[in-house]
Amino acid sequence: MASNSDNSAVGMPQLDFSTFPNQIFWLVVFCVVLFAIVKFFIIPRMEDIFANRRKIIDGNIAKAEEIRLRVSEIERQIEEDLQKAKSQCDEIMNASGNNIKEQMALALEDSKIATTQLISEAEGRLKELRDGSEAAIEKISKELASEIISKISKGK
Amino acid sequence: MEKQSAFNIHPMDQFIIDPILTGDSLEWYSFTNQALWMLISLVSIAFVFIYGSRKHQLVPGRLQSIAELLYFFIRDMIIDIAGQEGLRYFPYIFTLFILILFGNVLGLLPYSFTYTSHIAVTGFLALSVFITVTIIGFVKNGLGFLSLFWISSAPLALRPILLIIEVISYFVRPVSHSIRLAGNMMAGHAVIKVFAGFAGALGLGAIAPIFAITAVYGLEMLVVVIQAYVFTILTCVYLNDALHPGH
Repeated sequence: MASNSDNSAVGMPQLDFSTFPNQIFWLVVFCVVLFAIVKFFIIPRMEDIFANRRKIIDGNIAKAEEIRLRVSEIERQIEEDLQKAKSQCDEIMNASGNNIKEQMALALEDSKIATTQLISEAEGRLKELRDGSEAAIEKISKELASEIISKISKGK
Repeated sequence: MEKQSAFNIHPMDQFIIDPILTGDSLEWYSFTNQALWMLISLVSIAFVFIYGSRKHQLVPGRLQSIAELLYFFIRDMIIDIAGQEGLRYFPYIFTLFILILFGNVLGLLPYSFTYTSHIAVTGFLALSVFITVTIIGFVKNGLGFLSLFWISSAPLALRPILLIIEVISYFVRPVSHSIRLAGNMMAGHAVIKVFAGFAGALGLGAIAPIFAITAVYGLEMLVVVIQAYVFTILTCVYLNDALHPGH
């Protein structure tokens, strides 16, 4: 207290023990009030801000995850459609191939029938011709034979 | 004696506890310049942490950024040093940190009073940390807390010697803890005041002392924050010793 009266410090004011009760009294008051402020205002507020931020970040992450799932679902759908289209294409190609084969077989059958008909027709004609020629030969040979006979008989 | 010297420098005057409302007599309840600056510090803390973050912004503004930075800095520090268990003591450590930080930083304002430069204040804080940590140690670990002094990883022959060293260093903790802070604060302010006295005495030729004051002031800006950090981190280390005395 002596230091206060002449307005200039003698030695270190820090070591003036007469001021200690006063300093500690105000420090305790200060600490208690500050602790109350920290405990009841600062911490709840900071935790609230942090929790809100966490919630929004988590929400965004969840949304992103959802979108990712939807994208993979769409990809799967596309894959499926592609597969389906491919199999359909195969089916159509197979069907048309079969159709062509069938028609070819049919045409082949038709042409076979036509050919055999033509062959048999030609054979018939040939036979007719052959028969005709045999009869003609017989006739001619008969005529020839009678002519020879008459000639021979005349010469006598 | 000082008044007769050529330079009228009183570097320690800034630390005088002065009752500002009750005249000259200093009772234990007198409102002093120190109490005034504790009040100003309280208002500043409320301004930064309560007014600054009143809007609960998702993307913080300037003040809220400062508040969040300090808050999560201390929170992460406790988790790093004392583990998840230490988080229970977060309100106490955070109170201690902002009390010292704001006291130190406000003390750099011209004409202000630095309450953390007083050994009574830092001694009280360090002693309360010491007592609290010791009680926590015994409550959490029982007599197992004493294994802090019996270094089981050292050779058996060395352990009694280490025991003595450890016990002494344990009881010196509050002393070093408090004097480190008060000494740093006092020294810096006294140096600035001494240079300011030179500047006042030199008149127009005061460029050099003013340059020196600027330099020391810059250094002090660093020191005040670092000392608040050191006080808090040591508190965390002591708390960790109390929670996990085995290692």
